[in-house]
Parts: sequence; C-alpha cells; structure tokens
Amino acid sequence: MTVADDLNVAADIPAKAAPGLTRKGALYGVLTALMVVFCVVPFILVIVISFGRKIEGAAWVWDFTFENYQRFFVGTLWPDEVTFLYLQQLGYSFYFAIIASLLAVLTALPFTLLLTRLKRSTQAIWLVFILSSLSMSEVFIVMGWDILLSNNSGLPKLFQVTGMTQWLKDVGWFQTLRDIGLANPRNVKFKPSEFATILTMSYLVWPYAVILLYPALSRLDPSLSEAARTMGASRWTVIRTVTLPSIRLPLMGTTLLLFVFLLGSYVTISVFATPDKQTTAVAIYSNIRGSNLNAPFGSAQAVILLISASICLYFGHLLNSKAEAR
Amino acid sequence: MLKIDRRTLLKSGAASVAASGLATPLIAQSRSLKVGSYGGYFEDSFKSFVYPEFTAATGIEVESVTQPNSADWLVTMQQAASAGTVPTDISLYGRQQMIKASRIGGLIAPLNVSAIANASNLDSYFVFEGPEGPQGVGAMSWFTALVFNPDEVETPASWADFWDTDTFEASLGLSNVHSSGLLDITSATFFDGEATMMSDEGILAIIDKVREIKPNVTLWWNAESQMEQGMKNGDVIGGQYYLDVANLMAADGFPIQPTFPKEGNLQDYGSWCLSEGSEKSEEAAEFMNFSCDPATQALMSRNIGTAPLVDQSATDLTDEEFAFVSGSPSIKPAYEAYLDNETFIKESWDKMLAES
Repeated sequence: MTVADDLNVAADIPAKAAPGLTRKGALYGVLTALMVVFCVVPFILVIVISFGRKIEGAAWVWDFTFENYQRFFVGTLWPDEVTFLYLQQLGYSFYFAIIASLLAVLTALPFTLLLTRLKRSTQAIWLVFILSSLSMSEVFIVMGWDILLSNNSGLPKLFQVTGMTQWLKDVGWFQTLRDIGLANPRNVKFKPSEFATILTMSYLVWPYAVILLYPALSRLDPSLSEAARTMGASRWTVIRTVTLPSIRLPLMGTTLLLFVFLLGSYVTISVFATPDKQTTAVAIYSNIRGSNLNAPFGSAQAVILLISASICLYFGHLLNSKAEAR
Repeated sequence: MLKIDRRTLLKSGAASVAASGLATPLIAQSRSLKVGSYGGYFEDSFKSFVYPEFTAATGIEVESVTQPNSADWLVTMQQAASAGTVPTDISLYGRQQMIKASRIGGLIAPLNVSAIANASNLDSYFVFEGPEGPQGVGAMSWFTALVFNPDEVETPASWADFWDTDTFEASLGLSNVHSSGLLDITSATFFDGEATMMSDEGILAIIDKVREIKPNVTLWWNAESQMEQGMKNGDVIGGQYYLDVANLMAADGFPIQPTFPKEGNLQDYGSWCLSEGSEKSEEAAEFMNFSCDPATQALMSRNIGTAPLVDQSATDLTDEEFAFVSGSPSIKPAYEAYLDNETFIKESWDKMLAES
C-alpha cells in the first residue's frame, strides 16, 4: 500500500461516517438514558434519603438533616454519650474484605501459575470448571460451608468420631480452643468465627481471582525466568525479581476488585461473623429492611461506605501509578 | 370448503372452551379475597385447612399471598400504596407492626366492627383501636418459648438457667433483633417486667444483664431457619424459639423440647388488617368474623399450632391439645417502649452485641 492509498482511505472516512453518526448518536442516547434510569437515579435517591428523618415508632419522612451522618460517627446520644459502634462496623467491613481478598489472590496465584503450564486442553477444562462455579450464589456457598462446619454433619463430627476432640481434651489444648471461641464444652465448633467468615469470603471470590489473573499469567514469557535460572538465580529469586514484578499490575488490580466486591458481602457476615464483628453492609440492611424502618440512617451508612471504598480505590490507583513511574 | 369447516370448528371450539373455562372464575371473582400470611408451613396450613372451610361457609374464594412477619411488609405495602396497587386485601400483622402501620397512615383502613359480630368473643384488647377507629382484629396468638435439647441438658426451670456458663457455655441460640423478646424475657426474669422497660435506665439495666449471657450464646440468629438448623445439627442446645414450630420439630423426632419456665414464655399475637384501597371490605369483614369464631380458633390451633385468642372453654380443644399450643404464665412484649424509644433501644442493644 502506498502513501497515496492511505490518504484516499483517510479521505473516505468522513463521507461514510455521516449517516453512522446519527445511528451512533441514538445508541449513545439510549445508553445514557439507561445509565441515568438504572444507575444515576437510584444513586441520587440514596443520597437524598440519607438526609431524611426517622419518626419513632413509624417510618421516616423527607427532610434535610445531617443527624444521620453525625450518628454514624458519634451515635444517637451525642453529646451526652459517644459510641463508635458504626465506625467499628466500617472497620470490620474493611478488615474482612482486605484479608479475604489478599488470601484469595495469594492462593490463586500459585494455582494459576501452575495452570498456565498445563496442556492447552487441560487448561480449558479447568477454566470451564472454575467459570461454572461462579454461577453459585453467595447464599448457596454459605449454606454449603454452614453444613460443612456444623456439629452433627461436618468437621466437628469428624473431630469427634476420629477421637481428635478427645485427644485435644487429653493434651489440654481444648481449653485454649474454648478460650478463643472455637469450642463449647462438648466439642470443637468453627462457626460463628473469624475463621469461618474469612474462609467463606475467600472461597467466594477465589474463582474470580483465578480468572482475573489467568490472562496476565498466561502471557508471561517463560524464556525470561528460564534465562534467570540459567544465570544461576534460585527458583525463589526468579519469582521475586522476575515473575512478580512483571505481573504487579494485574495482581494489584485483582486484589482491589475483589476487595470492593467483598465490602458488600452480607450473607457470609450475617451467618458466620460473631456479633462483635458485624459489618456496615449488615447494619445497612437491618436499618432499611429490618424491624425499625430507618432508611435514612441506612442510606447514610451506604453513602459513607461508598465514599470510603472510593478513597481506597483512589489510593490503590495512586500507588499503582507511582510504581509505574519508577 | 375444508378451510371454512376447520375455521368454524376452531371458532366454535374456542368459544366453547372460553365459555366453559371463563364462566366459573367470573362468578368466583365477584366474591374473592386476597389474604396474606407468613410463608412456608404456616401459609400451607392456612391453604389446606382454614381457607377451604371459609370458602365452604361463605362462598368467597381466598387467594393466598405470602408476606413476611416483619417491618419488611410495611415497606412493600408503602411502595404498593404509592404505586396505587394493593397486594392483599387482608394482611397479617404483629401488634408492633400494626401500630407502626397505623402511625405511618394510608396503609390499613378502618373496619366496620358491627359487621364482625364474632369479634365480641375476643378480649377487647385484641380489637385494635387506631387513630382512625378500629383497624385490626386479632387473628391468632403465638409463643416464643424456652427450648432445649433434652439429650444434652435437664429441663431448665427458669430462664435464669441460661445465664449458667457451666452448662451453656457457647451453646445457646438467641435472636439478635432488639425487639424480638429477649429484653422482655430478661426483664420478667430479673426485673419488674414491662415497668422496667419504660425508662432508659431500666433498658440499660436489662441490657447489662443480657451482656452477661453473651459467653453462652453461640448463635445470634436473625432468621428463624438459622435457629432451626442450629437445633437440628447440634450447634445449639438451648435458646428462644417459636413454641408451635418447636413442637412440630419435636414431633418429627428432632432433639428439641419447648418448656414453660416459671417466668413463662413470650406471647405475641397477630391481627388481620384491611389494606387501604382494598375494595373488598365486606368480604374482609366476613373473613374476620369467620376467624373470630371459636370453632375457627380451634381449627387453627389444631392445624397450625397457634394459640387461640378465645377462652379454652369456648372451644372444643382438649387440655392436651391446648397445652400443645399455649401455656402460662405469659410474658407480654413492652410494645409502647419498643415504639416510642425505638432508636435508643436499638442502638444500646447493638452496642452491647458489638462489644467483644
């Protein structure tokens, strides 16, 4: 192709684009309308409701008050009394989401690395299997783990029939388990506990971690690490200095995505977390649809959760671009 | 020719199908009623045992609608009202939700009590006087009972036994909702019952007492099914649970037994309320009248396991049947306190639960 041909092609474009523009315009119009109706309007509604006022013994009314936001930080009795209950819940939202997303990514990473070294056909089978496991809802997964950790049908039963419980009692470790809330006087128990909560949350997002990491890992050039190995680097040094730096971006991106996803988990927390470690998501639900019908306070909590998540994402992004610049 | 024949045949066929198929529903539709009740076993029992009797007695067909037993339903009704639809003609409300609905306004309509002659069988307490006149007629009553696993522990004589850590360490299942009765039970056991619930100091004293039971609780449930599973699979060996469901589970052989300790069990009741905007007020009155009949109250006790709102002597329930659904003494929830002091009680309760 000559330069002249190129110019001709370029000249053709505006003539063709004219009729396409209206069609494109219409498409954009529809998409914008959809966005406004399904995203922007509900979103604005939540913000507006968060300024509403609760009426004791009834529902709530539209208003413009900052009381709900004030309550989030210091409680309803302020200034007579201060409570950080809602900040504590927000803290646990982050705590569980951070630990569970890190755990999921850290365990999915070696798995996905090994996966990319398998035969193409075997890889495909694994990926289809993992993709299909995404179709299970949170409720299903929590129910499954609930049964697996139950006294008569799960892990504690296994402990009992294999004599592990008795052994733990004999060596005196059983008391330690009771002290940290992982046993009652009769047997070990795994729920509700932090252990069950984090386990289930990581399990929930683990397939996402594999699927998000897979494209980046499968594009890794094996000759790089082979070269490093032939130059005498140990396997660990290769991972640390060659493999990890080259997948830093997808690794960060995946963790952040899973983290945001987990901030809103409801079923896992309400079933597996102890009452002193409940999160904002659960509190939002109990205010909006629970017995007290306090949608304004629920909305205020939702807005604050959203703002905190955005701040986190922003810092994540900042960290990324800083690392890029180096 | 063939074409025309086929067409006429199809036409006449369609017409006859339409005539036979539509005629019956049309007649029934003129006398029908949409009645809400809590889903699952509860609603199924209504559909199998109560509604057919009502239809046989009055000719009014009942369309059953599943509704939750919580403020959730108020949200749904509010949204439906603003959209101009009525999901049910009659809904079933607990007393607290009913008072809330009457205070919110525009959700439940005033009733014509003179058309509900049988309401006189009920204590006047069960005919709820809202700001717009009578707005609810008692439907049935239910108990939240002390339950325990008879394979693991002796029958507790008092709710206070649950505070004994030697027996119940990390083994109880209690509700995590502030208004679901634990405060009333604790107050009846250690304080002066409803009177203590009426002041902030009283509430805080009760909550302090509840705080002491926390090491014994392994499951703070918010859905009935969680407690059911907990008892079935042995995670929980005692707690608070509905008397009727506990009896049914026990009858199915699960390790659960309800008992009336010396302080008694928590008794709440449901009311039938007419939805604002419903055009079926006459049919609704007939249904409420039917429901207040002692025979219907006994029918519900036998088949659903609820306690009757009329005296046992007015029904043909045997002592054994009555003991299955009811008992004494009964602890009444402090409805006023929950409604007027809602935010304070909820936050204090949540704070207590959130302490480690």
